[in-house]
Amino acid sequence: MDATARLIELLGVDRVRTEPIDRMVYAKDSGVTAGEPAIVVLPETTAEVAAVVRIAAAFDMPIVARGAGTGLAGGAVACPGALLVVLTRMNQIVMVDEVGRTALVGPGLINLDLSHALVGRNLHFAPDPSSQQASTIGGNAATNAGGPHCLAEGSTVAHVLGVEVVSADGEILMLGGAAPDPPGYDLRGLMVGSEGTLGIVTQLLVRLTENPPQTVTMLIAFDDINDAARTGSDIIGAGLVPAALEMMDHEMIVAIENFVSAGLPVEADAVLLAEVVGHADGVAEEAGVIRSIAVRNRATDVRVASDEDERALLWKGRKSAFGAIAQAAPDYYLNDTVVPRTRFVDVLGEIYAIADRYGIRLMNVFHAGDGNLHPLVSYDASQPGMTDIVVEAAHEMVCVAVAAGGTLSGEHGIGLEKRDLMDQVFTDVDLDAQARISQAFDPARRMNPGKVLPDGARCFDRPSS
Amino acid sequence: MAWVTDWAPTADELNSCIDCGLCLPACPTFRLTGDESASPRGRIAAMRAVAGGRAPLDGRFAEIMDLCLQCRACETACPSLVPFGRMMEGARGEVAAHRPDAPTIGRRVLFGRLIGSRVLVALASAAVGLAQRAGLASVGSGPLRKAAALRPIPIPVPTAAGREWLPDGTPIGTVALLSGCVMDAWYSQTHIAVIQVLRTAGYRVVAPPNQTCCGALAAHEGAVYDAARLAERNAEAFEGYDRIVVDSAGCSAHMKGYRHWADGGAKVADRVVDANEFVAQLLTEGLLPVIEGDVPIGIQDPCHLRHAQRIVEAPRAILGAAGCVPIEIDPAGMCCGAAGAYQLTHPDVSDQLGRIKADQIAGAGVAVVASPNPGCEMQLRAHVPPDVEVVHPIEVYWDKIK
Repeated sequence: MDATARLIELLGVDRVRTEPIDRMVYAKDSGVTAGEPAIVVLPETTAEVAAVVRIAAAFDMPIVARGAGTGLAGGAVACPGALLVVLTRMNQIVMVDEVGRTALVGPGLINLDLSHALVGRNLHFAPDPSSQQASTIGGNAATNAGGPHCLAEGSTVAHVLGVEVVSADGEILMLGGAAPDPPGYDLRGLMVGSEGTLGIVTQLLVRLTENPPQTVTMLIAFDDINDAARTGSDIIGAGLVPAALEMMDHEMIVAIENFVSAGLPVEADAVLLAEVVGHADGVAEEAGVIRSIAVRNRATDVRVASDEDERALLWKGRKSAFGAIAQAAPDYYLNDTVVPRTRFVDVLGEIYAIADRYGIRLMNVFHAGDGNLHPLVSYDASQPGMTDIVVEAAHEMVCVAVAAGGTLSGEHGIGLEKRDLMDQVFTDVDLDAQARISQAFDPARRMNPGKVLPDGARCFDRPSS
Repeated sequence: MAWVTDWAPTADELNSCIDCGLCLPACPTFRLTGDESASPRGRIAAMRAVAGGRAPLDGRFAEIMDLCLQCRACETACPSLVPFGRMMEGARGEVAAHRPDAPTIGRRVLFGRLIGSRVLVALASAAVGLAQRAGLASVGSGPLRKAAALRPIPIPVPTAAGREWLPDGTPIGTVALLSGCVMDAWYSQTHIAVIQVLRTAGYRVVAPPNQTCCGALAAHEGAVYDAARLAERNAEAFEGYDRIVVDSAGCSAHMKGYRHWADGGAKVADRVVDANEFVAQLLTEGLLPVIEGDVPIGIQDPCHLRHAQRIVEAPRAILGAAGCVPIEIDPAGMCCGAAGAYQLTHPDVSDQLGRIKADQIAGAGVAVVASPNPGCEMQLRAHVPPDVEVVHPIEVYWDKIK
């Protein structure tokens, strides 16, 4: 019996896909890389995932796990010959502990569905990547996703307490747990952000966060993007940690307004979206400080969302940014670099200069609070050579950020797309240490091979000469 | 593989999707299956594969296209403004052109050819009406069960086409009414309520005689040439009217897209107004009375009103003017599974969605649900318990003011 027959025997014919067109349908995530899997399976239980992994091992097939396919770095893009394990059907909320503020969920559960299910219990799941209406919690954990509110709440790793994992040889492990400081190595922390290279997460115990008693969302407009960037720096410099602090440039504002009609100031050169949460007094005071810093930096308008609907509309606009840019051109390339906040204004200027030099169209929407830039190049891949130009320019932008003391990726993961830039931020010794971790969990290099770590990351991969 | 019809998804349309995936959770079939091939993004990927010659237009492609409800909830979710409904109609047209003997041929003949004939629709409706009277529908299953969920069909089957109605005083204007294919036969009370409300506001209502089915069902099934023929006939029939009132959301949504179907289509499209939209506007203009009251009533949005036309407030405003308090049963606006003929062609998916909707209605604890679209009404009736009443907002309103 071949692998397909064994998988059909296990899952039934409806949950095993091998037709060419089905494999093409699963070839992409939301980024720029692509690769068709050999077989696609849709398991529903941990036991099925373990059995699938054992079948893959028996037939020496590489395994790639996938959630909703909203990743931007190719982490869930199949490598040649891969068995693609699609986890969307494992979307149960197994348990909610309101007192302990935890939930046990399947990896295929959509991020926002968890918070929706908690309406009325005054709790929510804090990681809020822009893709949260579609992305799965398993995928959020794989990439250690961030989002606007991770500025104050921390990224996904701060919200995953424990994971159930199917290892490369088909064993089922439990890592971490509800206890605040589980004994032994923190393998839970290691698993979050490992992009499916160490195992497949089949269940997660996540932390739930209490809804803030009061929220103020402010939209601040500027005539000059440098004023906006300086305001962002100054707010953090003043010792405030807003719940979120986002920035969008002029082109981005126009594209978003086209979709949501949120009344964004389309004439502004840039806007900051700032949110402060907490008890009424503290919130009012923080909002006051932000307003005065903005005014000092020549803000032209400070608008405060008057109710929950207006607040939701402003966030819907911000979180639709990547999709909205398609109105400008059919393809986009999105960076995820992080720069120290003190270098924000300079790096931003250099990035716009690179775009000008290459003659490409750049839009910017990013997390101003933690210096996580998302320069976004909008282009048409059907123009010959255009993709190469864009990738080259984007790499140059990364180099500028890294030279300023920043790093490759804030929250999207490394995947395939940024893998070969890893040596920009890590020494050979650093990379070797990471490769040894992967070696320990996956000696046969079956789990999502070719992702995260560049070829030759392990010292023993390199010729000895 | 090259596309062969004028309605195939265009390169620009295919390029307009950037694969962000924000549509996935809005898609009912993705929600049920978790399968990318049952999602809008996956369907576009399949269209691209065929358009680019990388995959054949085979049975599997046809199946992927056929599972789509065409509810267009993905369009509401899409920040890239991808015209998915248009592309799906085109892709189905290609399936029909490449695979004329596909199992879906029966549907194309039914909705492309037969439905345009008033005589045949009347005969078929009369047959269903007889089955209803003989009690056959209540004991049947599948399509027959749906027939039980229909309102009793009057025999002889009435038609609005060719008639006109005058207001009591001097008309403030004239509007044309689409009599439709099955609306005439199966939902004449809705027509009557709409006509009476428009008369009350002071309008003369004319149902032009030579009009025909709007062609929505043909377009949905990929009978593109028939859809174009029906659209052209209506473009002629409605020539000269400033405003065309359509009281079925599927039809009004389709006619607003006539620019894709007939040479003079854009001219007609711009004058089409959904009955809910129009009556709500007349209320705002103070041309219709407002009844005070606080009767709770659930509201279910037809996809082709909410997603295809982005009309959300209008039916709520009409219920409000009828002395009712609209109660939301589904903030996400997920399809009830009716989806026109889909409830007959894909009973499994349709029933699963119908049950979800029935659970939402039960969760909202309402005894009456208003749905301004005949297909949805039929689907809801088939799924809610017998003590829950399903009504049309404009009929509710007319009932209160007459």
